[in-house]
Amino acid sequence: MIKATNVVKIFTGRGVPVRAVDGVSAHIGKGEVVVVIGPSGSGKSTFLRCINGLEAFDEGHIFIDGVDLAGRKTDLNALRAEVGMVFQQFNLFPHKTVLENVTLAQRVVRKRSRQDAEIKARTLLKKVGIAEKESEYPSRLSGGQQQRVAIARALAMDPKVMLFDEPTSALDPEMVGEVLDVMKQLAREGMTMCVVTHEMGFAREVADRVLFMDEGKLVEEGTPEHFFTIPTEERTRLFLSQVL
Amino acid sequence: MAGALKKTPHQLPWILLLAAILIALAAGTWGAVRKIDYAWRWNRVPQYFAYKGEEPVKIPFDGRVEEIAAQGAKASVRLVSEEGKTMTVSVNQDMLRVSEGDDLFMGDTVGFKQEWRLGPLMWGLWTTLWISGVASVLALVIGLLTGLCRISKNLTLRTLTALYIEFIRGTPLLVQIFIAYFFIGTVFNLNRNVAGVGALAIFAGAYVAEIVRAGIQSISRGQMEAARSLGMNGFQAMFHIILPQALKRILPPLAGQFISLIKDSSLVSVIAITDLTKSGREIITSTFATFEVWLTVAAMYLVVTSILSQLVFYLERRFAVSD
Ligand SMILES: Nc1ncnc2c1ncn2[C@@H]1O[C@H](COP(=O)(O)OP(=O)(O)OP(=O)(O)O)[C@@H](O)[C@H]1O
Ligand SMILES: [Mg+2]
Repeated sequence: MIKATNVVKIFTGRGVPVRAVDGVSAHIGKGEVVVVIGPSGSGKSTFLRCINGLEAFDEGHIFIDGVDLAGRKTDLNALRAEVGMVFQQFNLFPHKTVLENVTLAQRVVRKRSRQDAEIKARTLLKKVGIAEKESEYPSRLSGGQQQRVAIARALAMDPKVMLFDEPTSALDPEMVGEVLDVMKQLAREGMTMCVVTHEMGFAREVADRVLFMDEGKLVEEGTPEHFFTIPTEERTRLFLSQVL
Repeated sequence: MAGALKKTPHQLPWILLLAAILIALAAGTWGAVRKIDYAWRWNRVPQYFAYKGEEPVKIPFDGRVEEIAAQGAKASVRLVSEEGKTMTVSVNQDMLRVSEGDDLFMGDTVGFKQEWRLGPLMWGLWTTLWISGVASVLALVIGLLTGLCRISKNLTLRTLTALYIEFIRGTPLLVQIFIAYFFIGTVFNLNRNVAGVGALAIFAGAYVAEIVRAGIQSISRGQMEAARSLGMNGFQAMFHIILPQALKRILPPLAGQFISLIKDSSLVSVIAITDLTKSGREIITSTFATFEVWLTVAAMYLVVTSILSQLVFYLERRFAVSD
């Protein structure tokens, strides 16, 4: 489904270049839920953003369903439509109602009729449990509700894979559960997911595989059991001892 | 509602002080004008808004006055040509110059027609309005395009627009109008209206570009990323997501720019476009009512600009629903 080989992303901001992603190779199979963890600044977000082409990487290849993101002829826009992304800061469109947030890209990108788009949107809003808020503007919703709309918005494109970048980090603790529940349900339905999170409980319960990144490198990879009981790398152990 | 916590301060003394200052100003002005012995003639001003004009009504052929019928203050005159063609004209009863049965030659005056006409102040106002209106629309288009170019990834576009903005903002509008009319206008054979509107549009466009740029950059990066992550291309994201939000935010400075444009348009009077300012000057040469006319002209600009700012205020509140 997704195959990354030797991906390198270098930021050359002021002064020293930062190797934010430093030779990461990974794969995500169809229907698999992969959780990426690691300390702050380890390049998790950057790696995720490379996967849907929001960030152009400097070396390596990322294949999505066999299509090379780095290929010169690749239509990035078409590819992005197949890859849903949920952001830490929700990034809902504040000038659109909840319903419009979910229908806009369907109509603009997928060229669906208004009616079809609205039917799809209402089904998804019901699924994430906020059907009754469809005509509200995002600013009137709680963080948890906004994030669930954002998930519905991404799902509306019928993506082949969903990427989550710390979807619960900006939420008040009492709202984390409702968002995680939606994600768990998605996982049960067989959605291919790649989730960056600090929610170790979620990783343990839902993940098929866990990737641990540090300083741009993929340090360790394994099943949750392996990961949380007998990690092999020293850095992984150190990190887990800090967060658990 | 931070104000609710504070005790309402006593406003009365300040209102009194305000009134005192305004009265003192008025009295001072009045006294100063008295001193120079200026004869106010406000009664001369209204005729420059609208006046009753007399227009001769002439017969367009050789013919005869067939019949005159009174209709209140008007008289309707039926004329018959030598070939038997008839036509009916209407003139004022008391300004009738013919009687029934008269033989007339082509071009003879049948009588006079009195009608309300707009005076030079209204025509000047109209010119000012359409010049500013057309220039505003053009400036918006220019500003939108150049504002987008200004933040484009393309070096050529970016540099060209930067140069344009730098040049326009670094030179006086009056000089730009002269250049547009006497240099560019001569080379390309433009008439004065095109040169004047063009100069204003290009001038305001540079400011609009900066406003647009700032507005777009004030929208958080996440909005563009969210739009792109849904598969929209750059243009779709700009059109559906970024610009609507940016435009809402830049409405107040944009309105300020257009209000400035109305005032700046008075400068086109230097290339002999008869706008409100030029009309004022022309009226003064024939009436010498300098004070009255300039005060009237100022008031007319003020009315237009305040209506516009009220309108913007209303729009701002309408747009605020999604916040
Ligand atoms: N646009 C950018 N320009 C320059 N450097 C960047 C940029 N984005 C990220 N970086 C750098 O790349 C490195 C990896 O950042 P990234 O955001 O991917 O980390 P992260 O693992 O997601 O951290 P966190 O858990 O805090 O979100 C950091 O050192 C960061 O400073
Ligand atoms: Mg991050």
